[in-house]
Amino acid sequence: MFMLRFFAKRFVAIVFTLAAVIAISYIMMYESPGGFMSTSQVASALAPIAAQNPVLYQKVMEEFQQRYGLNLPLWRQCLQYVWHELTFNFGNSMQNPTQTITSQLKTALPISVILAFSSTALSVVIGIPMGVIAALKRNTWIDYTVTTLSMVGQAIPSFVLAVIFVLIFGVLWQNILPVTGWGTFSDAVLPVISLAAAPIGVVARYMRGSLIETMRQDFIRTAKSKGVKYWPLVLKHGVRNSMTALITVVGPQFAFTVVGTVLVENIFAIPGLGKVIGNAFPNFDFPMAITSVFILGAIMMITNLIVDLFYAWIDPRVKLQ
Amino acid sequence: MAIAVSQTRPVAVKKNRSQFYQSWKRFRKNYFAVGGLVWVAIFFIIGIIGPWIAPYSYTDADFLAMHAPPSAHHIFGTDQVGYDQFTQILYSVRYALEIALGATCVSFIIGIVLGLWAGLAGGIADMLIMRGVDFMFALPSFFFALILSVLLGKGLFPMILAIGVPGWAGYARLIRSLVLSMRNGEMVEAARALGASQTHIAARYMFPNVVGSMVVSLAFGIPADLTAQAGLSIVGMGLNPPMPSFGNMLANASSNILGFPWLLYFPASIFAITLLAFLFVADGLQEAFNPRGGM
Repeated sequence: MFMLRFFAKRFVAIVFTLAAVIAISYIMMYESPGGFMSTSQVASALAPIAAQNPVLYQKVMEEFQQRYGLNLPLWRQCLQYVWHELTFNFGNSMQNPTQTITSQLKTALPISVILAFSSTALSVVIGIPMGVIAALKRNTWIDYTVTTLSMVGQAIPSFVLAVIFVLIFGVLWQNILPVTGWGTFSDAVLPVISLAAAPIGVVARYMRGSLIETMRQDFIRTAKSKGVKYWPLVLKHGVRNSMTALITVVGPQFAFTVVGTVLVENIFAIPGLGKVIGNAFPNFDFPMAITSVFILGAIMMITNLIVDLFYAWIDPRVKLQ
Repeated sequence: MAIAVSQTRPVAVKKNRSQFYQSWKRFRKNYFAVGGLVWVAIFFIIGIIGPWIAPYSYTDADFLAMHAPPSAHHIFGTDQVGYDQFTQILYSVRYALEIALGATCVSFIIGIVLGLWAGLAGGIADMLIMRGVDFMFALPSFFFALILSVLLGKGLFPMILAIGVPGWAGYARLIRSLVLSMRNGEMVEAARALGASQTHIAARYMFPNVVGSMVVSLAFGIPADLTAQAGLSIVGMGLNPPMPSFGNMLANASSNILGFPWLLYFPASIFAITLLAFLFVADGLQEAFNPRGGM
């Protein structure tokens, strides 16, 4: 019951936050100096019409304004956008008016979701053992290597790592792994690795610190004196207890991974949501840009909510607020 | 004839044992951090003198040498328009620094004002500002920067604002927590009970205790803003070409990679090493100022 009330409260907060994000983004885009019709491609396509037939040009512009509601008062446009986004009625994009945004997202969104979630999963799978080994071999060369590597992974943003991968696998060792496109499993290898590097570092560093702290606890000493063997002691008593708060590290890291996905897709020419964003924002495609931010924001916030619920579930000491 | 011998009597050097000196001593022992600091210093120097040592202007397109590999004329090669890559990198360093430092300053100033306001005023102002912080943390600030960059356009100053304005929340929260911990701290209370003046308390007790965390958060903020700036370029919202930036060069090079790898060698490696250096420095500062915390 309490869980349900917590969930409902957070869900309402998420809806209001998203509504505010949509409204603010729409106002900013609306007030921006350019517009879809004045981007170089569209403007040059319309230039002959404007010169030869000003009446028709006027009509085209009015038609455009009508279709996207740009002639309404700003507050009404704003409310319309908020309502349409929140009810998943995204309408048509400006660049691709014959296709609904929903149908465009149907192909783009799963790609980004796969990239974000699989790299997060990979970071946990690799990060935990790395952190555990570093903690057990504390202050040896293994520890230093792991700590330094995880710092390097954290420092270099995923898209720079992606660029370096393009350099290595696109130039130096060609034909081992593909550096552009999407479709097969091997296409996903480099993007996922470049996205996972930072979270691996975070998880490994967290795990190392947490395990060192846990192994100092009294219950470990008690278990040891009762004759628990080394590996059961480390795995069952140590690692298990130091993993509880790990999820609070993975949650925020997920948001960074989503941003990374947007950028990495543009480097590897992967037709995901990031590529959509890379096309929508520079071309003032309001509906597409706002929808993509809305979708990514919703995914992030709902993931965080699930993480919090999960955390309370695995660790009963945690109180939901 | 008396020879004037300069008599250097061993003067008892007054040992400077201030908090900062001790922090510096800890920082010095961290070789990664010192190495990072050296690289950052070089980066700053290049940013300042870059335009004087640049062999060309960044708008000079050498149409006779497009896609030229590195040579004596263009030591880092040229791109598809014929821009000299060495020049581009020199200017990129400058713009990267201007944008990152400017944006960090903008974030920090907004954060300080709002954080102080929230911490000192309390009540409804505090509540509203903290709700604002929660709102900013709901989404990565990169998205806010992306949306702001649509509104503001693509110049140098708009970029500084687009990256800087959304970054205030972290600083505001930090400053607020510092204010609260100082206001209710026993140390300040003790000093006040001993009759210390307001300025004395502020200068001798509050400032040394808050400056560490502020410096550390700024040191982490600069590489984050460098990254954000390059990220904006990747999705096409960065500085307008021909104004060079690392993001533009990386985006351009990765789409032109086949056949022209030199377009990638230099910007990618320099940018990666620079971010690492900034982070090593930030990490070293964190350890130096807060030796017990952290892992």
